[in-house]
Parts: sequence; structure tokens; C-alpha cells
Amino acid sequence: MTGRETMSSFKLGLGILWPACWTALPIKMAFAMLFMAMGTIHLETKLGITFLMLLMSPVSVFAFFVISLGVGFHFGEGVGLPLLFLVSIPVDIWALGLVARTVFLERLRLEPPDSLGVALWVRFAVAGALYLPLLWVIEGGATDLARSIVKSILDMDMLKGLPVAERIGLEFTAWGSVSLLVLIALTYIGLSILGKLVEGKAAAAQPAGDNYQGLISRWDMIRVPADQSLMLTAFTAAGAVLSIVFWMVLPVSTPHPHECCKPATVAPAPPFDPQKSLSKGEKVLKDAEVKIAALEQKTAEDEKEKSKGGKEKAGAKDSSAKSEGKPSQATAGKPAGK
Amino acid sequence: MDTTTQPTTTQPSVIEKVFDFVDERVGLKTLQAKMLNEPVPGGSRWAYVFGSVLLFIFIMQAVTGILLMFYYVPTADHAYASTQYIIHSVDYGWFLLSYHFWGSTAMVVCVFAHMSQVFLWGAYKKPRELIWLVGLALFGIVMGFGFTGYLLPWDQRAYWATTVGVEIMDKTPVLGDFMARFLKGGATPGQMTLSRFFVIHVMVLPAALMGLAGLHLFLFRKAGPAGPFRGSVEEIKAKTDYFFPRQIWKDIVGMVAVFLAICSLAFWEPIVLLEEATPDPGDYHPEPEWYFLFLFQLLRLKVFAGEFGQFLGAIALPGIFMALLAALPFIDRDPERNIFKRPIALISWIVVMASILIFTVAAIINREFLE
Repeated sequence: MTGRETMSSFKLGLGILWPACWTALPIKMAFAMLFMAMGTIHLETKLGITFLMLLMSPVSVFAFFVISLGVGFHFGEGVGLPLLFLVSIPVDIWALGLVARTVFLERLRLEPPDSLGVALWVRFAVAGALYLPLLWVIEGGATDLARSIVKSILDMDMLKGLPVAERIGLEFTAWGSVSLLVLIALTYIGLSILGKLVEGKAAAAQPAGDNYQGLISRWDMIRVPADQSLMLTAFTAAGAVLSIVFWMVLPVSTPHPHECCKPATVAPAPPFDPQKSLSKGEKVLKDAEVKIAALEQKTAEDEKEKSKGGKEKAGAKDSSAKSEGKPSQATAGKPAGK
Repeated sequence: MDTTTQPTTTQPSVIEKVFDFVDERVGLKTLQAKMLNEPVPGGSRWAYVFGSVLLFIFIMQAVTGILLMFYYVPTADHAYASTQYIIHSVDYGWFLLSYHFWGSTAMVVCVFAHMSQVFLWGAYKKPRELIWLVGLALFGIVMGFGFTGYLLPWDQRAYWATTVGVEIMDKTPVLGDFMARFLKGGATPGQMTLSRFFVIHVMVLPAALMGLAGLHLFLFRKAGPAGPFRGSVEEIKAKTDYFFPRQIWKDIVGMVAVFLAICSLAFWEPIVLLEEATPDPGDYHPEPEWYFLFLFQLLRLKVFAGEFGQFLGAIALPGIFMALLAALPFIDRDPERNIFKRPIALISWIVVMASILIFTVAAIINREFLE
């Protein structure tokens, strides 16, 4: 098709949002992986909803927090989540601007207005913050309702004999179809809203004057950087820095050890405090001095007692020796003081 | 000094001399021109990245696989312990193994995406029938990689998934018994099974994949890219550019995105082994890897109960499906490639994908029910 394309709001919304998501995704993923390697993101949902919400779409950055706070759905935790949110903003603005400029030029044949990326990002983010929580609630409600209705139907007596595998398959297909249809309808409405927002910007844009080949050349040049060498150097440098940081923060051993191989828990040594160690040493020395002094005093007293007792014993011995004519058994062969 | 009349001659650098030396003998410039200056009808597209991404994943699987082989011992006595050693004692071993594990999943996902893209874009039609057939063989090899690699950690999950898989294979008429006995090497999975699976995983399948991937690429370059399935001749002509640099750039971005996705999954769900393999399943409910779950759940249906039912569900239906896929370019001879003008093809694709999704999710719900 080489004439000006007439696009419905839905097609226009999809035509910009879908490629913008994929354009921004690799850059956001590099940061997400880095934050995960640093252990700053802990995801709780197994379905990857968090990734879809945070990484896939410029419309979901605010909606993520609205749903977390308003509906109370807990995606995960960690300082990496708000960091990823902050990183996502400039990346999404760039991706939306790039994609929107190509769509304006190639499909709408309009001159892309200045600051198209910022203007669309603000509109998309606000629309997403309002619409996605609504979609979340409606979709959740419809799914729950469908599940309960299907369950009550399958609990009927005539269907109770259904084998387990058949029942599970049937139940999932039934409520899954309802849920999917509601999701498709809500997505259609959401994308149409985004298309209307783009149409608002397109209404004020000037028609592009070039012939088709000229337009395609301009469109093609939008898709490649003006200075390819600079771009390649910047990407290589960023890749090298990210790789180094990645290997620096990557845990050497597994963060999830098996029961059989849990590492031995070694109590960490208390930090060395020189002041405390000195005062402790001084106290030990003082205690030792006191003990030595006490021992010396005791020894001196013992010797005093002994010499006193020795004199008395010597007096007694002399008298007994004189009376029996043999030495005392108690003192024979023993040193003094023992 | 008069410098205006002297012609300036620049001497070639060392790199240029080396390049010229090799070019004279190998024909590098011709090769480079052939490889990079391939015209892409309708211009580069993200939908074309899957083939290059698959090649990248395979190279990464080979690299991580070789690194793992430095530590892995393929014996029934030591397979489990050496895998635990890789996870717990080798520096970054847990990450390598987790990357290898999630890499295999990414390969299956990308194969499905690549086949879906070729099918929906009608790129299997004349003159690309042979590319499609070789691609189907490559699909079988990728599945074989998943099946044989799953046993190697030798934990309960590996042992019982293999037991279930070999039992399913046993139901194939004529060849089934031989194939099951050949793979098991005994009455129950043991040392012989592990040795055979290991050799098939690290020698036979990589060699087959390299050969067939080369043939696939050769046939693709011979026939040329199919281009978009809609758009006027003028539009396609105006947008046509060469493989280098735009498509290469897209391919690189695709590879980086897949690499980051695999790394993220390795962090999110690092591989954790169950207990060491024993012939007693205990509390463990055997089940295959997720990409075979739909078939496993299909076999749980009452209609596929019994010897004949199991054969019908496990062998006949998948066999007929694969035969239909192989015959597709010869059955569908209509040159129309626009998927929106091929309602049977579009509906068939939706039905197959929805069935795989429904049965896979049902198997996961069934697992929770069993637990």
C-alpha cells in the first residue's frame, strides 16, 4: 500500500504500542538482570506478571504501583523495582518517540511533531494508570465469576462422574475462554483509547510533502542512528561496563543450596576494637597484680606462721627428744612450708 | 619544496595485508559479499530474527555444555554428586547449569516461534519445501536434546521423566521395543541408560544439528528470503535492503534480549535438584519436561486409556501430526501467502496452539491436584 493509510484507533494504538514495547525491552531487561544479579529484586509471582508489567509496556509503569497500592496485589519487593521503574521512563520515551515518528511518516504520511515521544509517553502513562487497574479489577472479577459458575456446573450430580483429567481440562477451557474473551475485549478498548490519544497529536501535524520513495528514505533514516560509529562505540562500552558489573555482582555459589550440600554456618568473628582490647588487657594485668600481691601476702603470712610454729615445735621436739631419744615422724623428710 | 606534483601513495596496513593474503587464497571478499549483501525483500523485520537467535542459543548451549562437562561425571554413581558439586562448589557453576537448563527451554520456545512464523507467513511454499523439511528434522533434534539432557543430573525428576518417556516410546509399533531397549540398555534405567543418553546428548545430536543447520542455511540462501506476505510490489521494492546492517542489527538485539531473558530466568528460578535417582518414586509424581506436558496430560484422558489408547495418544496422533507438517508444502500448493486469506491454516494454527496451551496448563493444575 503506497497511498495514505486509513487506520482505525485500535490499529493505530497497536501499531505504536507493540513495536515500542519490543524496542525498549532489551534495554530494560539489561537493567532488570543486573538488579536481579545484585539481589535487589525478589519476585513473588510465578507467572511473570511483574515482568510483563514493568518491562513490556510504557503504559504499565504507573499502573504497576497503582495496582500494588490500590488492589493490594503483591508483585515482589526490593529496591530494584523502583529503580527499574526509574530506568524505564527515559527508555520508554525514547522508544515511543522512535516508533511514533516512523508511524507518522510511513503510515500516516504526516510530519512528526517535535517532542512526540514525551507527549505520547505522558498521555500513555496517564491512560495506563487509569485504565489498567480498571482492567485488572474487571478481568479478575470476570475470571473469578466464570470459575465459580463453571465449578458449580461441574459439581452437578450428572457430571460428578467425570474423570479428573477431563474435568480439569474442561473446567480450565470453560473459564479460560470467558476470561480470554473479556481480556481481548478490554485490550481492544484500551488500545483504541491509546489510538485516540495518538489521533489527537496527528490532527495537528502537517502532511509530509515527499513522494513515496523520498518518504521511505526518511523513514529508513529515522530507524538508524545519525552517527553509527558513535552509537556502536556507546553500545559496546555500555555492554562492556554492564558485563563487568554483572560478573562482579554475580553470586559465586548458589543462592539456593540443596539440603544435602548446605554450607557450614561459621559464626562471624566480632569486629576488633583496639580500645576495648587494651582496657581488657589492662584489667587482666591489674587482676594478676592483685592476685600476685594476695599470694605474696599469704606466703609471707604462712612463713611467719611456720617460723612461729617451728619455734614452738622445735621447743616441743627438744623436750620429747630429750624424753624419747628419736626424731619426730611428721617433719622427717618434708621441706618447710609444704 | 614542491609537494603538489608528487602523487601520494598510501601503504596498506598490516591488517590489510593479512586480509589480502587470506582473501587471495580463500576468497573472503566474495564470501563477505555473499553473506552480507543478501537482499531482504520488503526490508529487515523483527519477525526474521528467530533463525539467528536459534543459532546463537545453540552456540551458547555448546559453550556452557562444554564447561559443564569439565566437572560432570556420566556414571550412575557420580552423576548426581558431580551435578551437586557443579551447583554448590564450582565457582559460578550454579549459574552455568541454570543457564544451560533455561537455554534449552528458550531453544524450544524459539523453535516454536520460528516454525509458527514460517507457517503463518507461508514461507514453506514453493520453492522452499526442502528448507521446511530440514527445519522439521531440526525441530526433532531440539526435542531430542531436551529429552536426553533431562536425565543427566540423575535426580528423581530426571530418572522418572526418562522412564515415562521411554515407556511412551516403547508403544511405537515395530521399532518401539528396539528403541526402548536400546536407550535403556537394561530392564530399568541405570548406568547403560545414562551412558547412552550422554553420548547422544553431547556427540550424536550436536553433530546432527550442525550438519542439518548448515544444510538449512545453505537451502535458505539458495532460495532467498520469502519476504512479507502482503504489500504492493512498489512498497516491497522501496523497502528492500541488504542483510547487513539492518537485519544483522535486529538479529543482534534479538540475541541480546534472549540472552538477558535466559540470565533473568537463571536468577529467578535457579536449578535445584531433587533427591538422587532411585527405582522407587516415593512421593514424587513422575512427569516430563514442560514442553512434553501437553502430551502427558493428553494421555491421562479416559479415551487414551489402555494399551491401544496409549498408542493412539502417544504415537499415532503425534506421528500423524508430524507427517501432516512434513507433507504440508506438497498438500498446500496455493501460492497465496497472506495468512488472512488462508482461513484453514490460520484456524489450524490457533487450534493447535490453544490445545497445547490448554493441556499444558491442565497438567500443571493436575500436578497441584495430585499434591
